[in-house]
Amino acid sequence: MRRKLSLLVLVTFVAALAVVNNGCSGAGGSDSDGGDASVSFDLNDPKIKERLGEDDGYALAIMYGSDIHGSLETCG
Amino acid sequence: MGGLARRVSYIKAFKQRSNTEVPTLSVDAGNLFTDDRFSATQLPAEVMTKNKWVVKGYGDFHHDAANISYLDLPYLGELLKKDGFDKRVEDYPFIQRLVSANIHPMDDQHRELVPYVIREITLKRGAPGTKLKIGIVGFSEAKPLGPNAKETVYAGFRIDDPFEAAKKVLPELESKTDFIVALAYMDMASVQRLASENPGIDTIIGARQTSTMDEPQHFNRATITYAYNQTKYLGELRVYIRGDGTAENQINRYVALDSTIPDDPSALEIVTTAHTEFTNEQNTNAAAASTSKPNALLGGGESPYVGVETCAGCHEKENQVWVNSRHGHAMATLEKKNQQFDNECVGCHVVGFQKGGFQSLYTTPQLANVQCEECHGPGRQHASNPGKGYGFVATPVGCTQCHKEPNDPDFDFEVYWPKIKH
Repeated sequence: MRRKLSLLVLVTFVAALAVVNNGCSGAGGSDSDGGDASVSFDLNDPKIKERLGEDDGYALAIMYGSDIHGSLETCG
Repeated sequence: MGGLARRVSYIKAFKQRSNTEVPTLSVDAGNLFTDDRFSATQLPAEVMTKNKWVVKGYGDFHHDAANISYLDLPYLGELLKKDGFDKRVEDYPFIQRLVSANIHPMDDQHRELVPYVIREITLKRGAPGTKLKIGIVGFSEAKPLGPNAKETVYAGFRIDDPFEAAKKVLPELESKTDFIVALAYMDMASVQRLASENPGIDTIIGARQTSTMDEPQHFNRATITYAYNQTKYLGELRVYIRGDGTAENQINRYVALDSTIPDDPSALEIVTTAHTEFTNEQNTNAAAASTSKPNALLGGGESPYVGVETCAGCHEKENQVWVNSRHGHAMATLEKKNQQFDNECVGCHVVGFQKGGFQSLYTTPQLANVQCEECHGPGRQHASNPGKGYGFVATPVGCTQCHKEPNDPDFDFEVYWPKIKH
């Protein structure tokens, strides 16, 4: 009985976690950023704010790139 | 500009700024892997290492999908080998997020790519609580051989007609999803055709080493945008959603990944480790191959480049200007970042790379740095028969071969020229 109860608690906990984590999911993996998901720099820095642009109510974002041709960094 | 560490950093900042209310997908439209020195059947070991780290880096830092282009095929064969495939996927799960609807292996020793992946998101804005299934599908043109010719079989893979493939795969994907993103490694005319023939596509992200940032185009319901070469500018497509959960509008931005965006420490760690492993391997291989290898581009003949020592024999005053310039220390810039053997970089830090001049620091160290002949042209003939008529430099066009905006956003000919005037 005790074991069944522990199992039930564990299953409930895992299910709760799945509900809480309602970001991207599905084929190919979870919504992981690798490491800490927060940044250590000031988001109110004027230059950073300019890069981020206005938050004007968009509901979804697609970040995209191409042609890195094997290079995770750029030269020099 | 660019690089994974800044890209990751920006995306984290973007999410944090919107209080993580905005589901954010990351995709790559193709040409992830280098095919540097691919010789019919295989890539050099250090090139494989470089590519391996792309798979790891993209996987570790939340890339939802990457499109396979014809340029990726020399390395793709390694990833899709049936032998050891499960272990490889365990080590590098991102392999399962490489997509193509029109590229297929030629033999049965390799796995098929998946044509698409589906990501499910839960909206918090527009239609809060609504779940959206987003399909991400990939297409590539065949390998161009000339203005009107294409190679449809390359590196052990067959590249089918992308328009035929789209007609087969898109109805299926449409039935499974609410929103379709097509990644297309092809020219603009082909991307437009893809959109006009397939009204179910919501977004097309094109790529083809493009260095322009045009406004998006619209065909049927699709918004078409192009990725910037080497992701020096990160594309950011914002999607606005109506109360019924359908897309209302898409707005595109390009974000300069310059020094304003600090490197993400954890991504930088991956980049640094990758770099060290690649460089160590390349150093070993380059040293082994350093026994006066003939210049392959010349068929064993004499290089048309003579090097700065020869020029200085007659042009001492000009040489002094050069010695004190940054051109004279261009290789040191790469050495500081341990990139002196990276063929993706050295072309703009030496003389005559891939034109019969510099090969590597082991075989042609005398042609390192941006020497006289890089701007003035190969000087062997002039050195053996000095006279007027040699050495005209078309400025600033000649300079901008390397001082391109993404490489050197501050380049201003009027400011830079006095620094090397001679």
